[in-house]
Amino acid sequence: MTNFWLSLQVFLAHYRQAPLQAGAISIGIILAVMLLTGVRATNENAIQSYSSATELLSQQAKWNIIPSLGKKHLDESIYFDLRAAGFNHSLPVIEGVATSADGKRWRVQGSDLIAALTSLSVSSDTSKASDSNNDEKKQTALLSTSIPLGEILSGASIVMMSQSMAEQFGEKAEFSLSGVELKIVALDDNTNLGSSILMDISLAQKILKQRGQLSYVAMFSDVSMQKSQIEGLLNQRGNLIESDNGDSLTALTESFHLNLTAMSLLAFVVGLFIAYNGVRYSLLKRQRLLTQLQQLGIDKVALMSALFTELLILVVLGSVAGFILGLQLSHWLQPMVSVTLEQLYGAKILPGNWQWSWFFQALGLTLFAAVAACGSLLLQLIHQPLSGNANHFTQISSTAKTQKYQLIVALVLAAIACVLIPLSQDYRYSMALMGLVIIAIPLALPWSLSMMVTLLLKLLSQLQRKIRFKGLLHYQVAETKELVAPLSLAMMAMLLALTANISMNTLVGSFESTLKVWLESRLHAELYIRPASDQMLEVEAFLAERNDVDAIYKQWYLKSQLQKLPINLVSRDETSLRETTVLKSSLDDLWPELMAGRQLMISEPLAIKLNIKLGDNLTLEAIPNRQFTVGGVFYDYGNPYGEILISPTLWQRLGLPNTPLSLAIGTSGSTDKLKQALQDKFSLPDAMIYSQAKIKQQAIIMFKKTFSITQVLNTLTLLVAAIGLFSACFMLTQARMAPMARLYTLGVNRTQLTQMVFTQMAIIVLFTCLIALPTGAILGYLLIHKITLQAFGWSIAMEWDWLAYGQVVALALTASLLAVALPLYRQTRNPLISSLQSEVL
Amino acid sequence: MIQLTKTIGLGLNLGLLLMLSACSEPQTSHQSISMGKLMGPTQNNDQTEGDATYTQVDKNRAIVFPQDHLSHPDFRQEWWYLTANLETAQGEKLGLQWTQFRIALTPENSTKIPIETLAAIKVTESDWVSKQIYMTHAAVTTKDEHFAEERWSRQHPQLADVSAEPLTIKIDDWQWTGTGNMLFPATLAVAGDQFSYQLTLDSSAPYQRQGEQGYSVKSADGSVASHYYSQPFIQISGQVTLQGESQSVTGKAWLDREWSSQFLNKTQAGWDWFALRLDDGSTLMLFQLRGQTDTDTHFYSGRRMFANGSGRNIASKEIAIKASSWHKIDSTRYPTSWQLNIPSENIDLEIDALNPNAKMPLSIPYWEGPVLISGSHKGEGYMELTGY
Repeated sequence: MTNFWLSLQVFLAHYRQAPLQAGAISIGIILAVMLLTGVRATNENAIQSYSSATELLSQQAKWNIIPSLGKKHLDESIYFDLRAAGFNHSLPVIEGVATSADGKRWRVQGSDLIAALTSLSVSSDTSKASDSNNDEKKQTALLSTSIPLGEILSGASIVMMSQSMAEQFGEKAEFSLSGVELKIVALDDNTNLGSSILMDISLAQKILKQRGQLSYVAMFSDVSMQKSQIEGLLNQRGNLIESDNGDSLTALTESFHLNLTAMSLLAFVVGLFIAYNGVRYSLLKRQRLLTQLQQLGIDKVALMSALFTELLILVVLGSVAGFILGLQLSHWLQPMVSVTLEQLYGAKILPGNWQWSWFFQALGLTLFAAVAACGSLLLQLIHQPLSGNANHFTQISSTAKTQKYQLIVALVLAAIACVLIPLSQDYRYSMALMGLVIIAIPLALPWSLSMMVTLLLKLLSQLQRKIRFKGLLHYQVAETKELVAPLSLAMMAMLLALTANISMNTLVGSFESTLKVWLESRLHAELYIRPASDQMLEVEAFLAERNDVDAIYKQWYLKSQLQKLPINLVSRDETSLRETTVLKSSLDDLWPELMAGRQLMISEPLAIKLNIKLGDNLTLEAIPNRQFTVGGVFYDYGNPYGEILISPTLWQRLGLPNTPLSLAIGTSGSTDKLKQALQDKFSLPDAMIYSQAKIKQQAIIMFKKTFSITQVLNTLTLLVAAIGLFSACFMLTQARMAPMARLYTLGVNRTQLTQMVFTQMAIIVLFTCLIALPTGAILGYLLIHKITLQAFGWSIAMEWDWLAYGQVVALALTASLLAVALPLYRQTRNPLISSLQSEVL
Repeated sequence: MIQLTKTIGLGLNLGLLLMLSACSEPQTSHQSISMGKLMGPTQNNDQTEGDATYTQVDKNRAIVFPQDHLSHPDFRQEWWYLTANLETAQGEKLGLQWTQFRIALTPENSTKIPIETLAAIKVTESDWVSKQIYMTHAAVTTKDEHFAEERWSRQHPQLADVSAEPLTIKIDDWQWTGTGNMLFPATLAVAGDQFSYQLTLDSSAPYQRQGEQGYSVKSADGSVASHYYSQPFIQISGQVTLQGESQSVTGKAWLDREWSSQFLNKTQAGWDWFALRLDDGSTLMLFQLRGQTDTDTHFYSGRRMFANGSGRNIASKEIAIKASSWHKIDSTRYPTSWQLNIPSENIDLEIDALNPNAKMPLSIPYWEGPVLISGSHKGEGYMELTGY
């Protein structure tokens, strides 16, 4: 036991001497745990938000009554009937979009606030479930002071929003919707209003011009036993459906979250590489010390336990710091994620709480990984013969062997992936297989680097025969080969980050250009407008009379479901259908059969998700008793909902909602003039009238936002790798002070020395970047043609982005050269003799 | 996002979402609503100053029937309060309560512009607009069991309201239906999740005006009072269903009608209220208003009432009442047995709860349940304990 403590004390003293070594290990662990926790918290929070999404200021609906098919609203008498029948745990909700004075469109929601607020207290009393969450909400209930219920109920024009949302309006900002001047009341963010504008149903019905109408009725109690009673009461006026507790939203966003998780695991691995490298280096530095300790009579068991304890302490400290930073990171990522999710899926993300279990899981994972990674190092070290007074790079002798083993493992993994990837149909398997590739790539790196340096040496030898140059250059390259082994781990981490970054950039770039091309053919009209549905007829008549309008294209749409997936059932006029549907594949007789109402077209994502093939037969929920053949699959990017297109004649014949949702106008005249005329005549706000150019621009902006979170994570990973590379280079350069001093005494001057060290580092980094080029391309290919296609259902044409590649190469070079420059600078200030001494000591 | 319709709609979200920032620390001020808070002088910050615009109680205001059976929306609070001591066919005692509270959120005759002129544009035409909310409590208590449920709603002709012809006091499917403009004969139907009852009520006795002709003082200094009348002599019968099991019940009931704009002053913490039916055929209404601290003096008031409409008020100083045993429910202690001594009425009673667990665990928690009387008189009645 005393031996154990003694060893531990010696190690502590060692780290006090060389804090950088402990720092490098900790940084690796901190970064690994930080990214893991950050993404975990963000993900779990989002998923939690879907499943616990409540009605605003109220509780979660178990059942909903929604308008019957083809209707947009319910009559509010349904709610009165429900209450009169004793279904008092229910909430009438009206929602819609209203326009503010400056033409912005805002999603507003109105509910019976009394029913909403009292449902909280009522529910928690009857169920006796008094979790803290509920208690917190309860205090916002009825008589809390923050909601001026009295004013609101008596009809004052007051809207409520979260504190953070209200802040953008400032103190005295005027805010009006549909011409009604509004007063904003800010509620604490923990009331979970998110970005909604909430008001009482009386005001909402007025602002939305839907007097007596509801969007849905939320039922808070489980009414499955009274289903038939409610259906009888509804009498076809609405549909009773069970709430899925966010299941559909979770399913929709699954691939998005998986992407994030994969990214965080990658970052975790990169961080561990750094930590491992740190441990390895610190053991290397202590090799002599360990031998000496054993020679002094300290037994192996005590020594090993002390080493493991040291590792444990570092892991725990690093994990704690990483966890705290990770929570902070998630806090910072959250807004970005919620933008992405809200834009892409319409999901609302609420602030959440972290859990201890995350910490313990992260700690456990890190500990496991650290012990697994460093265990062999420790064992190897302890089995070294006592007599063999280690020289600094003993391990180099076995390097060639290790490199060969690593290469073999890499090749085996790559081979497995090669065989299995073409067979995988599910993006989850594809991702797992891609994981194999990701492991294989860095494993093959040391061998590849050695090979490349050897080749360079041969090249130099040949060159030397032709042009004479100093032997120093030759020495320089030869020594580079020796550096590959100590640097290989940091380089592996760097390679991983580079590869991930390059592939991600490729994906994003490729998607952007695919999107642009697709938009080009998708948008055929000059102007797109979406007037209020009660204005639609007038607008149509107005347009029909104008000379500069060449064509009016219409689009109808209806929300529906296909095999439990939310879809949009859409129809357009024939010209639009023919001109704007970008088909991926179709049956020969698609157009006549489509127009005859026997075939339909489905979007690519829907086809992939439900594994629907051309020629399959489909029955639609919205159109019962009718079978369609899938006649075409069309490209559809960025739309989270599946889409089904049917012919306009069939749409009319079935009596589906007849008012078009939007109009597209073809004009030969001036778009601006027509836009102006429309706005003058119908006071259409800017947000409801879009020119083709503006839509394209908006779509690209949206798309960039969608990927912003992934790119941020990617950059973080790259930064982590850069930090790892920096610390590895830094430590290596320090270790090489002695040989350099030797060269100096042999007459190589400082400038030459500096050049030499820089060149050596640059060679290794550039070779790594060179390797990252094909591996990044391979990964990018997999991401585009496997993962994205399977997860999102988007076919994308791959495009290579040299600029992005150049940027990451520059970053890697900068990090490593900086890392070399620092110890070099310090060395120049030390007397030469001290460096020489360090070799002997 | 690219689907055209969505694209067109996307302008609305962008600007709005971008400005979303991180959340602030959650507030943790746990505060449950008490009856005192609800009935007390201030319940909402912005309404404090508006108090003056509620109609104040007036000593000279006569109680007039049948108008006063209806609601008085210009007063802040009001209730229709029925308690009944029943017996099942098997002779088992059963207590039953139904109370519809009306609470005005803003003065009905308010001329003050709400909060700011900005908000002055009103939605007037909608039925949803109202200044009143209703809260209704219903409970059934047996010796071993106690069930209580509540309903909330804004005043809305379709949801919760008090209306005439026939006199109706309702919330959702809970409803008192009188006859013409009169409270009696009446039916009362309540259906909760755990229990329900359908009752027929009738009374031929004159109404009893509490206090001075219906002006009931609630503090020693006379600063708070209410308009208060009772019908302590009601025959009641019907069906009570407890957890799916229906049984016939008969018994006596008591209705209290009370309205005011302030029931408690700032020094008062709560009240203990008794509605007792003595075996000599008389009834006794009695309440104690407790001070916030031990040094604040308690205020007592009572009235001995007879079926022919006559009665005697009992002054505060004549009443001696003391809790004799306490019962703890969920960390709160309630005095469920009392010693009552009124020498001037020759009354010396021991009052015991039929079921000491009769706490109403609702959004405003209080204790309310049937009691048994022994001592100088036998009998039964109801007890309400608030502010504990």
